[in-house]
Amino acid sequence: MSTDPNNMESLVNRRYEHGFVTDIETDSLPPGLDEGVVRAISARKNEPEFMLEWRLKAYRHWLTMTEPEWAHLHYPQINFQDISYFAAPKSDKDRPKSLDEVDPKLLETYDKLGIPLHERAKLAGVAVDAVFDSVSVATTFKGKLRDAGVIFCPFSEAVTEHPELVQKYLGSVVPHRDNYYAALNSAVFSDGSFVYIPKGVRCPMELSTYFRINAANTGQFERTLIIADEGSHVSYLEGCTAPMRDENQLHAAVVELVAMKDARIKYSTVQNWYPGDENGKGGIYNFVTKRGDCRGNNSKISWTQVETGSAITWKYPSCILRGDNSVGEFYSVAVTNNMQQADTGTKMIHIGRNTSSTIVSKGISAGRAQQSYRGLVKVMPQASGARNHTQCDSLLIGKECGAHTFPYMEIRNPSAKIEHEASTSKISADQLFYCRQRGISEEDAVNMIVNGFCKEVFKELPMEFAVEAQALLNVSLEGAVG
Amino acid sequence: MRTSALDQDLFAAAVGSMPADELSAVRNDAASRFASLGFPTARNENWKYTNLSGAAAISNAWLREHAGVPFSSASITRPGQAESTLLRQIDANWIVIRNGSVDMNSLERTRKNYGAVINFSHLSDRTAECDIDVDDPMSAFNAALLLDGLHISVSPDSDSLTPLGILQIDDPSQQASQVRIVLEIGRSSSLRIVECALSANHGAQFTNAVIQASIASNACLSHVRLQLRGDEHVGVSRITATLDRDARFHHDAFDFGGSLTRNDVVAIIAGTNAQVRLHGLYLASGNQHIDNHTRVEHRVGPAVSDEEYRGVLSGRSRAVFNGQAVVFKGADGTDANQSNHNLLLSSQAEIDTKPELEIYADDVKCSHGATVGQLDEASLFYLRSRGLDQGEAKRLLTQAFASEFLSELSVEVCREYLTSTLDERLADLVSDRHL
Repeated sequence: MSTDPNNMESLVNRRYEHGFVTDIETDSLPPGLDEGVVRAISARKNEPEFMLEWRLKAYRHWLTMTEPEWAHLHYPQINFQDISYFAAPKSDKDRPKSLDEVDPKLLETYDKLGIPLHERAKLAGVAVDAVFDSVSVATTFKGKLRDAGVIFCPFSEAVTEHPELVQKYLGSVVPHRDNYYAALNSAVFSDGSFVYIPKGVRCPMELSTYFRINAANTGQFERTLIIADEGSHVSYLEGCTAPMRDENQLHAAVVELVAMKDARIKYSTVQNWYPGDENGKGGIYNFVTKRGDCRGNNSKISWTQVETGSAITWKYPSCILRGDNSVGEFYSVAVTNNMQQADTGTKMIHIGRNTSSTIVSKGISAGRAQQSYRGLVKVMPQASGARNHTQCDSLLIGKECGAHTFPYMEIRNPSAKIEHEASTSKISADQLFYCRQRGISEEDAVNMIVNGFCKEVFKELPMEFAVEAQALLNVSLEGAVG
Repeated sequence: MRTSALDQDLFAAAVGSMPADELSAVRNDAASRFASLGFPTARNENWKYTNLSGAAAISNAWLREHAGVPFSSASITRPGQAESTLLRQIDANWIVIRNGSVDMNSLERTRKNYGAVINFSHLSDRTAECDIDVDDPMSAFNAALLLDGLHISVSPDSDSLTPLGILQIDDPSQQASQVRIVLEIGRSSSLRIVECALSANHGAQFTNAVIQASIASNACLSHVRLQLRGDEHVGVSRITATLDRDARFHHDAFDFGGSLTRNDVVAIIAGTNAQVRLHGLYLASGNQHIDNHTRVEHRVGPAVSDEEYRGVLSGRSRAVFNGQAVVFKGADGTDANQSNHNLLLSSQAEIDTKPELEIYADDVKCSHGATVGQLDEASLFYLRSRGLDQGEAKRLLTQAFASEFLSELSVEVCREYLTSTLDERLADLVSDRHL
């Protein structure tokens, strides 16, 4: 099959569209990390005593830990003293009450990203808690949510206004000593989102946060906590783009989900951080701890992720199926191109009776990228009637890339039914030929085949997200076939 | 855990008191390699689920006993009942290895039977020609404390040979033993091997066996390994096979005994169109622990590997399966399949399975699968409705699951013995009191 090599190259080398830097003065702490920095972050955010104590506990524990090395990733050692742990837009002190008061430069940034905040908020009925650097600057649709009794606010606001909820649930899913990056996040997290859905409430709209890293040398440490009380439902969207930059930026977020009896949480992510250039220069290091706790009976947590960005991805959204009949789901599409590396997957811990979990992971590796699926399915002795079905498929595009699968299964109950299947292949020449024969260009054919490969995951995404995800996939991969 | 680590001082002293001979250089090299690797612990990803502290404790006692006393070949025990039965029932040319040393009568007999086709020699006479594998900690431990090994080479173009039998039988009086066999299968030859491992008596014991095989172009090695060790036995075994162009390697492993068993099977595909087939069956009850680690390296393509392991667990037993298929850069045309199926019969049994793929080439077809489940209720009901009692119905279904590989056994002569051993063992499992 003949392909115009120049055309291929231009498509593969397509540059990151969202790369630009907004020129805003930021009020940052100097690089470095010690107890003073942790205290300073806490003080700047006017946090109550319990938060400072918690941060310090996490920091002291972090000092005793070593960086995990088990992942199939290669990157230069991170110097944690080179990172500034706090950056907030200057106008932080007198926070805007409405969109009109928001710094116009910020709004411009969102516009460039294709997020017309006010329009989008009205048209799509989406409340946006936009995180610019580390402090949330604009939150919309608060009123409507307040009427439903839903709390959706920046984390720092929740700490001061709902300390009892924060104190009760913070760290109850991802404890401060959980892992190296979670401990670091617990010590220095800047902001994030807090969601509480009261008993029996179906959240009237999909909740969404747009993340964006801006100031240079600033680690971004969000913390998200979502609590769905008995019988409530919520769908949460997280998406991100980041400006082009040569220096590696560290991102270590923690997301905690708590689903009480009969509650449902759907958490969808489109991750498109800057992946670095074709030589692997720059790009975000993304070390994320995401975990959901199905605490009550009949609860359900569903993770859907589309991972196309970041130079390094280290991310394992997990479900602890504690309640009887609880359900955990993980749907993932991960795309790595050029020099990107991703080590991602999930953990399903079956504790309650008749719990079930589904894992569908689709990995696409192109260029010189390396991608790994790493998953754990654990069935505890008391988890009778546990079910798991895992499917992880990889598609390889090009001779230089790699795709790896490391599925762990630890089964201690005889009534468990566990199935795992995986396959790895390249885009078949027959399929391509068939499409080409019918007049479809090679790029379109590849897109079609790749989209078909990912269909099972895309259908789990909310509609707007599914559209964005498909577009992203095409940008990331067009012409990567040769 | 600290108390059952291997005593490095005792180890160094023991290596020092090994005889000075042709193997000395190999031993010293292996000892320094082992010193840097150390005895595996749960921190080592490859040993995450298998705790070797039992082996360390036995080794310490054995090394202490030998402190300052030069090692020599162990006293030969008389053949026991189990040994005689086995040798009678499986028609092969047997070499018996007792407590790690070769029974010279059996070797002479076998040597005569094969004539010039197979050459048997001491490893110490062939150190110059073969590369002793010490990459793995237990393999290094083996080489460091090895009195001598066996070198077997099959001349080119020899086919239709009587199968070679290798019986490893150990008496717990010798607490630890190291066995190493180097196999060279000449071009266009084929060799079938039945390897059996037995315990002569009850008692704690640790054996560490290594087989290194190189299979020349168009040659074939078929290897059946049957492990029927005693209930206090700790065994580590490793087989590494390197395949040249068009070579074939068939390995069927049956693990029925032992208290703790760890097997490593490594197949290295170094020539195009090579074929690897690995089959394994493990049956565990009581407190048994059986760990199978396999690694197939597709260094070049096209080549095919096919792997299936099955296990039945009852009591408080635990099994580990870790299958790695690695496809190297440029190994296009690789076709690698891997699967692991487990039947859990009791509420306290545990299985930890991890079928891994590591792929660095794009023109490949790789798949893997794993399942864990119990006997199908509907099938049980069907059999009960036909008048079988619960136990018999269970036994029959379990037998159907476990007998899969018997129909395509790579060395025919052991089928009958294997079938009856399997039936006996399954009856134990199904009636395990922990059910």
